[in-house]
Amino acid sequence: MRLRYIAFRREGMNNGGKFPHRDACHVLAGIRHRTYSAYTRGIAVHCFRRLFMIRHDVIVLGAGLAGMRAAIEAKRAGVDVAIVSKLHPTRSHSGAAEGGINAALGNATEDSPATHAFDTVKGSDYLGDQDAIEVFAEEAPNDIYELEHMGAVFTRSADGKLAQRPFGAAGAPRTIYSADITGHVLIHVLYEQLIKHEIKVYEEFFATQVVVDGGQCAGVIAWDTQRGGLHAIQANHVILATGGVGRMYYGTTNAFACTGDGMSLAWNAGVPLKDMEFLQFHPTTLKSNGVLITEGCRGEGGYLRNKDGDRFMVGDAPNAMELASRDVVSRAEWKEIADGRGVDGCVMLDLTHLGWKKLQSRLPGSRELAMDYAGVDPIEQPIPVRPGAHYMMGGVDCDVWGETIVPGLWAAGEVACVSIHGANRLGGNSLMETVVFGRRAGQAAAERVKEQGDTGARIEASVLADEDRRIAAIVGNSEGERPGVLREELAKTMYDKAGVYRTEEALAECKDKVVELRERAKTLKIDDHGSIFNTDLTSAIELNSLLECADCLVTSALARKESRGAHSRLDFTERDDDHWLKHTLNWNDNGEVRLDYKPVTITKHQPLARSY
Amino acid sequence: MTEIKNAHFTTLKGAYDTEKMEATLRVRRYDPETKKSRFDNFTVTIPVTASVLDALDAIKDTHDGTLSYRKSCRMAVCGSCGMRVDGGAALACKTPMKKFVDAGHTITVSPMGNLPVIKDLVVDMAPFWQKIRAVKPYLDTRDADVPEKEWRVDPAAGDQIHKESLCILCGCCVSECNSMESDPDFLGPAALAKAYRFVGDARDKDTRERLRDLNGAHGIWDCTRCYFCNQRCPKHVDPRDAIAKLGAESFKEGFTRDEGAKHAKVFVDSTFKGGYLRETELVPKTIGPVNAIKDIPFALQLARAGKVPNPLSPHKAKDNDEVKRLWKLLEKEAKGQPRRATATHPDAVLGD
Repeated sequence: MRLRYIAFRREGMNNGGKFPHRDACHVLAGIRHRTYSAYTRGIAVHCFRRLFMIRHDVIVLGAGLAGMRAAIEAKRAGVDVAIVSKLHPTRSHSGAAEGGINAALGNATEDSPATHAFDTVKGSDYLGDQDAIEVFAEEAPNDIYELEHMGAVFTRSADGKLAQRPFGAAGAPRTIYSADITGHVLIHVLYEQLIKHEIKVYEEFFATQVVVDGGQCAGVIAWDTQRGGLHAIQANHVILATGGVGRMYYGTTNAFACTGDGMSLAWNAGVPLKDMEFLQFHPTTLKSNGVLITEGCRGEGGYLRNKDGDRFMVGDAPNAMELASRDVVSRAEWKEIADGRGVDGCVMLDLTHLGWKKLQSRLPGSRELAMDYAGVDPIEQPIPVRPGAHYMMGGVDCDVWGETIVPGLWAAGEVACVSIHGANRLGGNSLMETVVFGRRAGQAAAERVKEQGDTGARIEASVLADEDRRIAAIVGNSEGERPGVLREELAKTMYDKAGVYRTEEALAECKDKVVELRERAKTLKIDDHGSIFNTDLTSAIELNSLLECADCLVTSALARKESRGAHSRLDFTERDDDHWLKHTLNWNDNGEVRLDYKPVTITKHQPLARSY
Repeated sequence: MTEIKNAHFTTLKGAYDTEKMEATLRVRRYDPETKKSRFDNFTVTIPVTASVLDALDAIKDTHDGTLSYRKSCRMAVCGSCGMRVDGGAALACKTPMKKFVDAGHTITVSPMGNLPVIKDLVVDMAPFWQKIRAVKPYLDTRDADVPEKEWRVDPAAGDQIHKESLCILCGCCVSECNSMESDPDFLGPAALAKAYRFVGDARDKDTRERLRDLNGAHGIWDCTRCYFCNQRCPKHVDPRDAIAKLGAESFKEGFTRDEGAKHAKVFVDSTFKGGYLRETELVPKTIGPVNAIKDIPFALQLARAGKVPNPLSPHKAKDNDEVKRLWKLLEKEAKGQPRRATATHPDAVLGD
């Protein structure tokens, strides 16, 4: 401790508010200024004067579960890896996951990876790639044991094993959990491992561009939010793990940070986005701010009721009832509300019959959320809930190791589309996906580093200077509308016209609106012209990412003339395997979305009708 | 094209209907370029369900885009938006505005304490993270004989560290820590709660070393027990309770030489013997006789001011027997508590 303690004192923890010293690993190119006093100049001047060049073998973008897991794996393999993240790792939205993580351990009842795989394929409405799903289900149990050995505090059953609870559309109680704070526990355990493995994290660095040089990934350019200044972070391998894009919807469970940055970065680097029309709506979110009430509430026996107190799920899923797959429950709720059987735009999640003890021991977090943000105590009153945008099944097109069509550019977690979720994701599968495919991407990238060595791809100084001019132009602009205003307009448009139910007409209107918003977003009113913690600048860049993703979503949705999983068309109500059993690809064609398709991998399970 | 049934299904009617209210906030600003701070007042229209964070968003989106603060999850789990609301640290997203508006009160929002301010409501968390790193915040099973499957852990053992594992590292406790104000090197409530999360973990094998380290300078005994950390913690982690548990574990491991430990021991022994605290014994037994002699001039000063009780009177409570009975009761209860649990291999069967 004495040693450790001296170490942290030497790092200069009491620097009296001055900026911490930069790390010795920063290698400089161009002009570097170490004086932090000259902030009174215009940003265009000093931002250009403060350009940095850094080099690592592998860069992981994003520090949620997938990102941290990838970095840990790469570090273990012995390569020089660093994380670049716009948030501190524990601030990532993986931490908000509540219900649990799926792996066929068979601790509660008999279970097997094959059953897990089948449930996932069926849940995906047969759009999931079955080779990827098999890998996923097979490797999940070992990853769970590893998380447990790292120190995750999971809930135990009486025999001391990991407890497993039932979740929607799962054939067995398969979801390992930690009360209703599973994501929180996992994000902290992986952050602890980052510290243990001494992995460098560029905290609060906002990536603005993934650079491709001669067809190879060359690294990322990132803006240092805390201190200002643009960094070219050279790396032959970049793993995207930036998470989802829920903020394009008004009612969403996603954090403010979930703005699809990684999808936009990949799209602009020439990688197609896959299956973007499939966005999952979570059936139980609060009206006030979209906060998620976990599926675990229904797993523990909660009921959904309409304004007459009827359990309306009996109509759509007479067997599974409230535990049907999320798309089914969301549609049933939406229908109840739209048909006038809701209460104030919501349906009721009734937990009152579960009793104080069960609620307090199994679902304490949900109870607190309901009390804080909906003003009801679920012990006494039902919680008003409605569907909210929750999870992007689509994302960056990649293979089972996470590699995209650009060599050296990888993706894992929600930003990626491997695809194991197909048209609809099962609860508890996303946390597991981040860990399994995060590990695989980290492992594969590290192996590639060892095999190939330096590929020679570089971020040229001119590319950095161009990006610097682009950022300076955004910051320097004070004409137009504020980013927040446009973001809200986009969010309402998407929630109204590309929500749970879709039609040709609504989607066409939505597309027009998104195109219009993209045009209006070209000049944004930025009040903050400084370089230190300029959140006005970052929200402008985030808005652009959101708009690009929204464009991909709505274009693909308009083209897909069938109903499958989360994509539910009122004008094409049936699943059409003859024409549409294929993945949508969205290419970037000079800023416009160009559609393309590719086949689904089917191994064991031929498409069947899907009922619960 | 098939007939479109229920086309009205595409939109949820009344999805955005909310009652609104007008709220005024006084926000502390700090401009890193001019190094000047000031207060700004803003009046915004927000939904009645809005939190302080929503109000700040309304300011940023409609009034002043230069306002900076951290935010992410808006559901009290990421720990980004710790700031002072009316002088006490809280998560902005977990603090509803309605009660202030109803009371006609203008709240003052300012950055967290004990950490350097970067801009407006944003503080430099680097010192905070360094302290977290200093307590070796990861499980150490000494890598001995790691099982193929999960460790078997009694569910009750997991409950022992449940509260500490709720911590979101927001820094609200550190912001209000009195001890850290006078000693910025004090490890602080967040890092110590994190430390207990491992000391109390049945799987961790590094307990003794951890406790030895935590008994050092700026460690657990520097806490002044003001309980502000418990009061301000938005996640009910109760860091002070974790520090108390670390103290108890330290005694069990025989770490009793720190002045703080000795001080605590005098309290315990003295109340056991006499029913209440013998203050005359307190100083020499805590800092040792030599240092106590050095402090005699100070003691005389105190005596002149009438602050020292008569050192010769027998300090014994009237109903000392009752005190002893209470002690026995407590001891009995403590014996009933399970000893620190340990994890076992999957093939082992847990005790009955």
